[in-house]
Amino acid sequence: MAKALADVPPKGGFSFDLCRRNDMLVKKGIQLPGFRKTGTTIVGLIFEDGVILGADTRATEGPIVADKNCEKIHYMAPNIYCCGAGTAADTEAVTDMVSSQLQLHRYATGRESRVVTTLTLLKSHLFSYQGYVSAALVLGGVDVTGPHLHTVYPHGSTDTLPFATMGSGSLAAMAVFESKYKEGLSREEGIQLVSEAICSGIFNDLGSGSNVDVCVITKGKTDYLRNHQLPNPRTYVSSRGYSFAKGHTEVLSTKIIPLKAKPEVAVVDAMEE
Amino acid sequence: MSSIGTGYDLSVTTFSPDGRVFQIEYAGKAVDNSGTVVGIKCKDGIVLGVEKLISSKMMLAGSNRRIHSVHRHSGMAVSGLAADGRQIVARAKSEATNYERIYGEPIPVKELADRVASYVHLCTLYWWLRPFGCGIILGGYDRDGPQLYIVEPSGVSYRYFGAAIGKGRQAAKTEIEKLKLSELTCRQGVIEVAKIIYGVHDEAKDKAFELELSWVCEESNRQHQKVPEDLLEAAKAAAQAALEEMDAD
Amino acid sequence: MAPPLAQWSNPLAMDSDLNDPHSMGTTIIGVTYEGGVVLGADSRTSTGMYVANRASDKITQLTDNVYVCRSGSAADSQIVSDYVRYFLHQHTIQLGQPATVKVAANLLRLFSYQNKNMLQTGLIVGGWDKYEGGQIYSIPLGGTILRQPFTIGGSGSSYLYGFFDQEWKEGMSKDEAEKLVVKAVSLAIARDGASGGVVRTVIINGDGVRRNFYSGDSLPLWHEELEPRNSLLDILSAGPANTPEPMSI
Repeated sequence: MAKALADVPPKGGFSFDLCRRNDMLVKKGIQLPGFRKTGTTIVGLIFEDGVILGADTRATEGPIVADKNCEKIHYMAPNIYCCGAGTAADTEAVTDMVSSQLQLHRYATGRESRVVTTLTLLKSHLFSYQGYVSAALVLGGVDVTGPHLHTVYPHGSTDTLPFATMGSGSLAAMAVFESKYKEGLSREEGIQLVSEAICSGIFNDLGSGSNVDVCVITKGKTDYLRNHQLPNPRTYVSSRGYSFAKGHTEVLSTKIIPLKAKPEVAVVDAMEE
Repeated sequence: MSSIGTGYDLSVTTFSPDGRVFQIEYAGKAVDNSGTVVGIKCKDGIVLGVEKLISSKMMLAGSNRRIHSVHRHSGMAVSGLAADGRQIVARAKSEATNYERIYGEPIPVKELADRVASYVHLCTLYWWLRPFGCGIILGGYDRDGPQLYIVEPSGVSYRYFGAAIGKGRQAAKTEIEKLKLSELTCRQGVIEVAKIIYGVHDEAKDKAFELELSWVCEESNRQHQKVPEDLLEAAKAAAQAALEEMDAD
Repeated sequence: MAPPLAQWSNPLAMDSDLNDPHSMGTTIIGVTYEGGVVLGADSRTSTGMYVANRASDKITQLTDNVYVCRSGSAADSQIVSDYVRYFLHQHTIQLGQPATVKVAANLLRLFSYQNKNMLQTGLIVGGWDKYEGGQIYSIPLGGTILRQPFTIGGSGSSYLYGFFDQEWKEGMSKDEAEKLVVKAVSLAIARDGASGGVVRTVIINGDGVRRNFYSGDSLPLWHEELEPRNSLLDILSAGPANTPEPMSI
């Protein structure tokens, strides 16, 4: 697609010239700064009376685990939540932006937000950035028209599905869903299946890890089960604790710099003059 | 104020206390004093006819046409200020081509009439504009069959079976009402229109006139065209004969 | 997404970057028959080598009586059809009657042509209107428009040209046409790796619209295809009593 863009300058919309320049620079060997990605497992499914979303909690920066317990299930509206994979900054920004648009829309209309509205706002933003906003989302919610589950890809395409997975762990999670999902799961079965799918990502995908977050959305009620499962506790904690004796660290030199000279206040009798 | 009347007729953006806009009514007067324009819907198409008053004997016959084609399937006959009419025709043409560029099919006559009417109406909304001093009879043929519309200077448009505007409109309308439009073919309609135009022309008061006729019907392959020369001559002859017969009575 | 260390290189990764834009390596078909049209499509949406959606719906509604089969980039074809649906809705309100298939096709053509530098999508429009009956238009990559009695599109279509040249007949019945479409899509699914899943059809005629669904296991088996057996899904669906130890199979 980038090649086709070069033929004629577009009449309107954004210019992606600098993106193409950056690609060229990378090819020539220039190292661009990396950014925090949520190498991720996120999932969602529709159950008996609503939608369940799930996510792991690992954020990575290259090969480093940058955050062991981050939140990837973002608030969109009281009845709508959205799991994000891709560049953390982008998923955070795009969900925040759309959730505030939804809030304003609720103020204006006085009605509960709909999932399709959210979907349209997300996809039109992502489409206009032609995939450079790298947010891959699993959007779920229950509105006046019933439960809905969608996936949104960075280029702005969307799918409507009864169960969905996203992120680097999506293959592992999808394997679980494909073999065990059925229609009309109960709440407990649903949470169990979502957790299992996320754990599959946590244990089999390098980009995913740590804990399981779950969000259960039903008509009129949303339960955000933060750290629903903690399958990766710290395996060794010293029984003696980690208090260190005073003076454990050697003091090499000491220098005290006063922040400000103390002003001298002269006491003068005001009535004297 | 007395020297210039009430002062409620100076601007198109001023209402009179009883809710009228005089400037629009004056624009209507320009139409009422102009040569007669007649349009009828026959069973297979539309015929438009104009009594084009000739201001000078030295003017070339066929110039200053008052019937214009808008696109392949529709045409407009103008009464009132001819120059204003051309402005409207130009707009109608651009609306028609625009529509076809976007939707890939000829503009429906109703839609064309609506768009032309909106344009005419637009000129009655601003103090720096003058309303169009002309009435338009719009005839066309689309997939829903032949249709005939009038657009007035106020910007309203109505659909008609038969229509007449201009000086001789009253007499012309009486004549149109006598026709059996649902049985008439356009070839017969052309003769009738010619008779009406010749009939309403006031030879005593008015200058000479030229008869302009156009049609859009099955015979013209649903295209808006001038009536063929031989038929035009036949129509003129028939109209003349009818006049003489009337005089003889 | 952490790059895997060299010795653990992920076999699934191949070149199938999950961040690739979604494309619908597709089989889409539109066929006219006596009285209407049948549209058909497979249901596979892929990113690189991964099937992102195995049950997608590539036959999208534009108006009550016009549907479109989408191929190419999922994002692009969705945005185009969303815009066109919106404009057709406006157009329907403005004219006070349903938009024709031609208008729908021409709007898609207009968008595909004006944005040809940014779009990677081929479309097949099908529908019925009271003026021209059932119609199929193909709108391939550059934004041209072709009215055809039948047309095929997407990556799977290359396997079908000869088949259609032989099998398509003028004046088929509705059932014959739908049978042809389902057979063709299943043939393409058998040979084209980028097509798969289920077959969806949409039948449009003067009586309305009907959607049909043919699940993957109901499709005919072609050359060298095997009956599905002993799949994990079969074993699991046999119930816990019959479930053997996974590793002992």
